[in-house]
Amino acid sequence: MTCSTKSPAKRRYLRRFLVTMMLYVLFLVTAVLVFVHHHPTGPLAWLLALLPALAIIGQIAAFGMYLAEEKDEFQVVLGVQSMLWGIGGTLSVTVVWGFLEGFVNLQHMNLIWVYPIYCALSGIAFALLQLRYK
Amino acid sequence: MKNRLRVLRAERDWSQADLAERLEVSRQSVNAIETGKFDPSLPLAFKLAKLFGTNIEAIFSDES
Repeated sequence: MTCSTKSPAKRRYLRRFLVTMMLYVLFLVTAVLVFVHHHPTGPLAWLLALLPALAIIGQIAAFGMYLAEEKDEFQVVLGVQSMLWGIGGTLSVTVVWGFLEGFVNLQHMNLIWVYPIYCALSGIAFALLQLRYK
Repeated sequence: MKNRLRVLRAERDWSQADLAERLEVSRQSVNAIETGKFDPSLPLAFKLAKLFGTNIEAIFSDES
């Protein structure tokens, strides 16, 4: 039944999103605890540092899979539009921040904030698009 | 693009949800097409035409 709020593709996406989010939390907590208590170096340090990022990459891939699997073309358009607003907004915020950081000594922004900014902006865009096409 | 979806639905006493179920899309998608906010792809337009037993030109017109 596809006229319900969530199509099978969307349900699969939400499941994958939750799994990658849980992995992200698990990997992040593990990395923080190991770095605080054991001060790892070398390949182990690299691996621990990369694990949370891999979970985020998995989340991005999950959205790509959703766009590929969704049969409702209008929902794909909404997904792509919200993604484009998110990307455009993130590029704008980070480039403005970068120039302010370079010229007026604004506090340095760690690059790990790029993805949360993207998620927030694309989420806002998706909510606004939902209102527009209610 | 103008369309006659609302009329065709009314003739069959179908709600937007009924049509969405038959098309295997969301009700939101049917509403977006019906109100002219979203133009469907050719495959979806053919699916609509087949469902209503007519041709695409009888449903959609390029009048603004």
